[in-house]
Formats: sequence, structure tokens, C-alpha cells
Amino acid sequence: MNAVPGAGASRRAVLALLFPIMLVNLIGFIVPMLNLGLLSFKEALTGGGIGEKFTLANWVTLVTDDFNRELLLNSVGVSLAITVAALVLSYPIALYIQRAEGLWRSILIVLVISPLLTSAVVRTYGWVVILSDQGGLPSLLNAIGLTAPRMIFNTTGVIVGLTEILMPYMIVSLLAGFGRLDPRLEEAAATLGASPIQSFWRVVFPLTLPGVALGCLLVFVLSVSSFITPKLLGGGRVFLLATEIYDQAIVTLNWPLAATLSILVLVLFGLVLVVYGRAVAALD
Amino acid sequence: MKTSIKYACLVAGALTLAGPVAAQTVVTVGGYGELFAEKYKKAVIDRFNESQKEVRVEYYAIGSSAQILGNLRAQKSAPQLDLAVLDISVSKAGTDEGLFDKIDETVSKRVADLNPQARLEGAAGIGFTLDNVVMLYSKKQFATAPTSWSAMWDPALRNKVTVSAPPEILGLALSIVVDKMEGGTDFKASTAKGLAKLAELAPNVLTFDPKPDAYAPILSNQASLGVGWNARAQYFADQPDSNLGVVLPKEGSIFQINTLNLVKNRPSGEAATKFLDYALSPEAQIAFAKEVAYAPTNMKAVVPEEIAKRTAAGAPERMIAVNALDLAAVRDRIVQEWRRSVISRK
Repeated sequence: MNAVPGAGASRRAVLALLFPIMLVNLIGFIVPMLNLGLLSFKEALTGGGIGEKFTLANWVTLVTDDFNRELLLNSVGVSLAITVAALVLSYPIALYIQRAEGLWRSILIVLVISPLLTSAVVRTYGWVVILSDQGGLPSLLNAIGLTAPRMIFNTTGVIVGLTEILMPYMIVSLLAGFGRLDPRLEEAAATLGASPIQSFWRVVFPLTLPGVALGCLLVFVLSVSSFITPKLLGGGRVFLLATEIYDQAIVTLNWPLAATLSILVLVLFGLVLVVYGRAVAALD
Repeated sequence: MKTSIKYACLVAGALTLAGPVAAQTVVTVGGYGELFAEKYKKAVIDRFNESQKEVRVEYYAIGSSAQILGNLRAQKSAPQLDLAVLDISVSKAGTDEGLFDKIDETVSKRVADLNPQARLEGAAGIGFTLDNVVMLYSKKQFATAPTSWSAMWDPALRNKVTVSAPPEILGLALSIVVDKMEGGTDFKASTAKGLAKLAELAPNVLTFDPKPDAYAPILSNQASLGVGWNARAQYFADQPDSNLGVVLPKEGSIFQINTLNLVKNRPSGEAATKFLDYALSPEAQIAFAKEVAYAPTNMKAVVPEEIAKRTAAGAPERMIAVNALDLAAVRDRIVQEWRRSVISRK
């Protein structure tokens, strides 16, 4: 192998350019993560103190406690439900925006993104007003003679609230992934006798899968780590990893267990990224 | 040249005038935010600062006990706070981690005048004010104030009760009170009777985690009954046209003890004890009780009757003695029982 002339200098330049961001990541991410890992092996004292001894007790609790398994399953289940709901509701909107033109398209994109300018807390309280017993939706159902089920302070409330809050991310991701969509392909499919439904499932949808994968990844990860909306809309009945980490860290002061659960979330994100990477590779 | 001399004289004069101010030692107190911070500054800290020249107290509203402990942990090698306000159980946690110097009679002679409940074996901090668990009710729903915790089980109040589930202290306290109400004798051994009764409460519960606090659902007419802390409840009840009422039910309640903690290796050194001494004095504690309904811990602090009625000091016989360490020891068990048999009930 012959070295490429100037390759060493070029590598040094790349490393020099990368150095600032590597330093920021080291201080802002790697060191705190290592600290978190270390904390997960510390002893949690009765009453909330952190002991000096190292122990595997937190990890044993994580694996053996049925409640922690339930937390993981709940978090994954609720986040999957939110991801599917956000995809189903966002896809037609994104497709419509993709096909819109000129100023109208810009207006629609601004409308989609504008909720992100409002705090998630404010939007969540909006859902409290809409979904509570005296709120708009139950009152409407009661007015037409239906008995409104409880729509807030349970899993339904969390799914409804988070789906709406995360939809802009899904729509923007879908639009970013719709680049390969070419209207001429649909025209060609129609010319060859495909019905609109066949054309959608066999031409449009496969071409938009990269956007779907990106949107699902983003919404799933954001739902697993969402804390405020489940806390406000869950009514203490919905047990998720993020809310449990809060309770352990802030209420019971069990920082070692909170650190252990945080690492579990990190591992979950790692697994999701692996699945996403493989899905994207398969699509390409 | 003359101008330079003039300026030099001015600067020297200014420095002379600023002399006494510069000699002040600043004592930094980190404590709860919002209502507590506002009222404590007004009733206690401002008066202390006005009363003497050597020490000046600055209060930093940090937030909850857990957030204050988080600050103290982060500052362990170079503390910025001199005194920290913490719930007594968190004071014990900080003591176990070596964050505090012990407060006893050698630090302040006033410690001898305090209610025995103000001290906890193994905790370095000392109780300087007491709050207690109360039942909140909507005046729109109840023409006369309910007198018993059992009002929460009324079938007519379906989805109209809010309860903060454990591990929140309010939920732990409710478990102990209801267990005693149902004939339980020792919560350390078992709270099964109380939990069985609380499981029957589940259909009436609107939320097990009222947000932003226990008072909002009643103030906004979403709920009719709830469980909260006395001082804040009294404050909301005092607001014009408030629909929130406060009751210390006949079956009793438990105290929540707020402690002051002397931070180890604190920057102000002994100056912090001067403020600590003032904070434990009858004068400061009565002033704070008048400002907002926190009961004093100094037994020499005699509050006027109309103020006493608004705190647990007006009905000491109703208070159930609970050691914060005993409560911490059974917390996980109670949390699990709530999750298994109370919250999961429809």
C-alpha cells in the first residue's frame, strides 16, 4: 500500500477541525454518562442518601423486579402506539403538503411547524382543558347522548397528548424523506392500469419508506424520553421509564436506581438505532 | 493635578463610607421556592437584616428538598450555601453523606427550647417550622366543611377526589392516617387495613398525581376533595373569592418538619449560626406563623389564638407521631402496595 501524498496532513487537519466538538462531547456527554454509569453501582441508603460502597444491587433490582419489566414494556408499548398514531395522522398531511405548490405549500409548512413555537407544557394543558370531564370533547359526546369514557389521567390521555405534540416532528421527517417521490411514477402506474389504491401501496408508499423510518425513529425516541406530558396527562396511573426516573431522582432521592434506569433508556435507544440502521440499509 | 487629588479624596471618602458594608459577612441560605421563599424573606430574613449590621442573609429560592440536596451534592468540595432548608428526611440523607455539621445546644442555645419533634436521631439539621397534612375541600360542593377523612369515600364523589400517591409524602401520610382510622396500630409492621380501605377509594380518584399541585384541581372546580399541605392551603383559602376550604380531620394528621442545616465547610463560617439562632427564636417563628400558616417548633413561641387555629398548633392532640426514619424504612413497601392494589383499581 502506498500512502497518498498529503494524506497525513489532511488527517491532522480533520482531527484539528473535529477537536472542538470532540471536546464538547467529552465534557458534556461522555464524562456525565460515565458518571451516571458509576452512580448506578453506588449503594442507595434508606432515606435517600448515596453510600460510598459499590454494589450490583440496583442492576439486580432492575432485572428481578417485575415492576421494572412492566415499566419497560409500558414505555415501549405506549411509545409504539404514539408512533403509529402519529404516522397514520401525519402521513396524509405530509403527502398533501408535498403535492402543494408555491405560497400555499410554504403556508402549510409554517402551520405544521408553528406548534413547536409553543411550550409542550402549554399544549399539554390545552389537552387537559379539552379532555377533562367538563372539557370540550366529553361534553360533545355527552350532548349527543353517548357516555364519554375517561379520556384524561390515564394511558388514553398520554397517547392523545403526545401524538399531537410529536406530530410536527413526524410530518417534517416525512417531508424530508419524500424526496424520491416523483409524480410521473404515479402517472405511469395509472397509465399501466393501476387503481389509486394500488398505485399508493405499490409505488408511493415504498418510495416514502425512508421518511417513514426517520419519522418513526424520531417520534419513538421522543416519546420514550417524554416526561412532562405523561406526568401531566397520566394522572399517576401511567408508569413509564421517564416518569419513574423522575420519581426516583426527585421524590425518593434514589439517584443510583434513577441512574440505572437512565442507562436502560440509553440501551433501548441504542437498540432502536440499530434497528433503524438495518431498516434503512434494507430499503437502500 | 488638583483634579486627581479631588478624585482621590472622593474615592477615599466613598471607601470610608462603604467600610461598614464591606465588613458584613454574607450568609447564603438555600431553600424552597415560591410561597415559602416570598413569605420567609418578608417575615424573617428582612427583619434579621434590618436588625443588625455584621451579617447579611441572602436567600436563594432553589426549589424542592431534592433539588436543594442536588445542589449541595454538586457543591460538596466547594460549598456556596451556608444554610439549607430541607425536609427532615432529606436532612437525614444529607447527614449520611457528610454534608452537614450537627446543630445542637452548643451551636444555638435555643435548640433546648424546641419541640422534641424538631429533632431526628441521626439528622444534623434542626426543625424550625412545621407544616401538616390537611384535607382540602371545595366550598362550592360542601355547604358545611367535612370533618372526617371518610368524606372522600362518598360514592357521589366519583372522579372528584385528588390524592398524591406515594412516594409523595402526602400519599405516605394518608396511608398512615387511613390505616390508623381503620384500626391499624403499627404502620411499621403493616398498613394492610389502610391500604384495603384506600383501594376502595380508587373509583373516586380523578388523579393520583395532581398537577401543578394539590390545590389547582379544587380551585379550578375539577375536584371536590383533595389532600394537601396546610400552609399553602391556608394561603389559597385566604385569596379573594377562593372556593378552597381547609380541614384538619378528626382522625388526625401528621407533621412535615422543615429543617435548617449548617453546611459543612460553609463560606461564612460561624456567621451562619447567628442567623440560625434568630431563625429558631420565638420572635422569628411567630412572625412566620403570622405571615403564612407554618407552626413554630420553639415551644416558647406562643402564637395568637386566631393564628394557632390555622395551624396544627391549634389541635396538637390530633397529630399522629411519626418518625421520618420509620416512614422512610416502609416507603418502598407502601409504594408497591399502592401500585398493586390502589392505583390499578378502576
